[in-house]
Amino acid sequence: MRPSRAAYPIRWRVMDILEQVAGKLWPRSFSAGLPYLMLLPALLLVGVLVWGLVEIGDSSLRTLDTSTFLMSENYTLANYQRALSERFFTTVAGRSLMGSLIVTVVTLIFAFPYSYLMVRTQSSALRKFLLVALFLPFFIGQVVRAYGWLIILGNQGMVNEALGLVGVTPIRLLYNYPAVLFGLVQYMLPFAVLMLAPAMTAIPAELESAASSLGANWISSFRHIVLPLSKPGLVGAGLVVFTLSLTDFAIPAILGGGSQDFIANAIYDQFFRTSDQGMGATLSLLLVAVGSILVGLVFMVFGAGTLAMGGDRK
Amino acid sequence: MSAAPAGVPQQETAAAAAVSVKRVSKVFGDVHAVREASFDLPKGRFLTILGPSGSGKTTLLRMIAGFDAPTEGDIYIGGQPVKAVPPHKRAIGMVFQKLALFPHMTAAENVAFPLKMRRHDARTIPEKVERYLELVRLGGYGKRRIDELSGGQQQRVAIARALVFEPDLLLLDEPLAALDRKLREEMQLEFRRIQKELGVTTINVTHDQREALVVSDEIVVMDGGEIQQMAQPVHTYRTPANAFVANFIGVTNFLEGSVVETSNEAIALSVGGMRVKGVAGGTAKVPAQGELAAGALRAEQIRIAPTVQGFSGLANVVSGEVRDAIFEGERIVYEVVVPELGGAVLRVFDHDAESHQQFGPGDSVALGWNAKDMYIFKK
Repeated sequence: MRPSRAAYPIRWRVMDILEQVAGKLWPRSFSAGLPYLMLLPALLLVGVLVWGLVEIGDSSLRTLDTSTFLMSENYTLANYQRALSERFFTTVAGRSLMGSLIVTVVTLIFAFPYSYLMVRTQSSALRKFLLVALFLPFFIGQVVRAYGWLIILGNQGMVNEALGLVGVTPIRLLYNYPAVLFGLVQYMLPFAVLMLAPAMTAIPAELESAASSLGANWISSFRHIVLPLSKPGLVGAGLVVFTLSLTDFAIPAILGGGSQDFIANAIYDQFFRTSDQGMGATLSLLLVAVGSILVGLVFMVFGAGTLAMGGDRK
Repeated sequence: MSAAPAGVPQQETAAAAAVSVKRVSKVFGDVHAVREASFDLPKGRFLTILGPSGSGKTTLLRMIAGFDAPTEGDIYIGGQPVKAVPPHKRAIGMVFQKLALFPHMTAAENVAFPLKMRRHDARTIPEKVERYLELVRLGGYGKRRIDELSGGQQQRVAIARALVFEPDLLLLDEPLAALDRKLREEMQLEFRRIQKELGVTTINVTHDQREALVVSDEIVVMDGGEIQQMAQPVHTYRTPANAFVANFIGVTNFLEGSVVETSNEAIALSVGGMRVKGVAGGTAKVPAQGELAAGALRAEQIRIAPTVQGFSGLANVVSGEVRDAIFEGERIVYEVVVPELGGAVLRVFDHDAESHQQFGPGDSVALGWNAKDMYIFKK
């Protein structure tokens, strides 16, 4: 029994051949191992990362000999001592942590109504506009955007020129803490909206109608229904914004003008300016530790399930 | 439907009715979702708005709830116009299609929500919540999370939540549509029991004719945004106002033909050359001689027998051939081809098939029905 070959589309025959080859290379009896094989690339990537961390951990335990510019042979905790006691490092750490916290809160406050409007609006034109406005900044890199702010906010920038027209002398809008925070909020907003929107989509509009028919005005409906049900989105978005802000490099560097360094800038300086690999490694590890502890705490408080965006609420 | 009688002031009729809908229309873009709908619902009655999807029934309900504003016309609740009253200030309990229970609250918290929002005395709330959970037979289930309750139990929580603040009006937006048949029928009786127990004026929306017949005191049938008939269930079923209502409720055969004779109520149609006798149906004008008309005949009003013997008292007797016999449990549905009526296929119920002779495809049978059981509507 041989059906005419032409009856089979060419694609089917190609697939048949591929299947035969696959059968030879990976017999059916191996199939239980297939999922593990597919895990391999991810494991390799994570493995490289872990290996890097071990190397960094090794460096962090050696100090720089300033006379020879070589790393010490023996292990010491001196770098950690310096990082935790030297005023410069504690200032940078405090500035980064505080800044990230402020940026997170402000970003969430801005992102919440934005994503609510995007999810709930009846007008598809408005929804498209909001989405495009959200994605456009993604096409413009962080550095370019920061330079954009230099043009707008600089001493001869657009804002100061406009103020000059009404007789206000130029104000220093750049190279200070608020400028960095402002830049970070602007950079983080799309991330926050993108993480909040799915969580909000998962709240049926009918729930708000129900709340309203049960006697809740919009404030109560927001407080008792929308806000609690958006919690997974808020936690996820907050976590992403906080960790991204804490580890950001370009915006503090450009909008802070070197006077508002965050941890990443301090690490960069250690590696590439003072060439103190040990100190840089120490700061890196501390940053990883602080970030991990914070994520762990959030998981402990809200449950790891909160990041499973909006899906199963059980 | 029925306009206020001349001489009676408008205010008075509005005050007597718990809900009064006056010439309400709703236009979405260029779609007329509801067209000039009017009805009055007395206090304590259970009204069902019945219609196919897209008939405007849900839009009408949403306007009564206050989620949509009428394009034209007015709605009165308890005699007061509600045009300027937002939903949260209307004393309306609503059970939604997908129930809309708050997933982050327990059953008791859901039921307590309207009481808290309406600023009831906090000390009385737990007792009230428990009383209403008892009413829907969920006593002791208050601490359960919503997702720990079965579909039927969730229905009951939604009902308790809509009723606990003693609203003037209860609205049901097809809440039973998603349930399986057995549970749905159980909940229909449950709705009826609770409604009678509390005496709350209720408006239910559904496309399920059985539900409408079972639960309601009054049925409003809607199609194409217009109210087709408002009547008690028995009347809706027995004396449909027009061909749409006759077709939508029950299993109805339509015989089309031209009018050959009219005298008072009695009308004779010529269907496929055969003379068929019926009576004028509905409130519309009786069709004149020579006009096209359709005779509506319920499947259960047709008698079926092996021969025409015993059909002597019936005005219409025809013979045909069984095309299909469908066993539905409590009844058998026969599809009978009748050559005398131009090859029309009539559906016939036999509800007592055990004591009657049963037929199979190809069998010759005689069919007969009374003139008073066939309503003739103008085309």
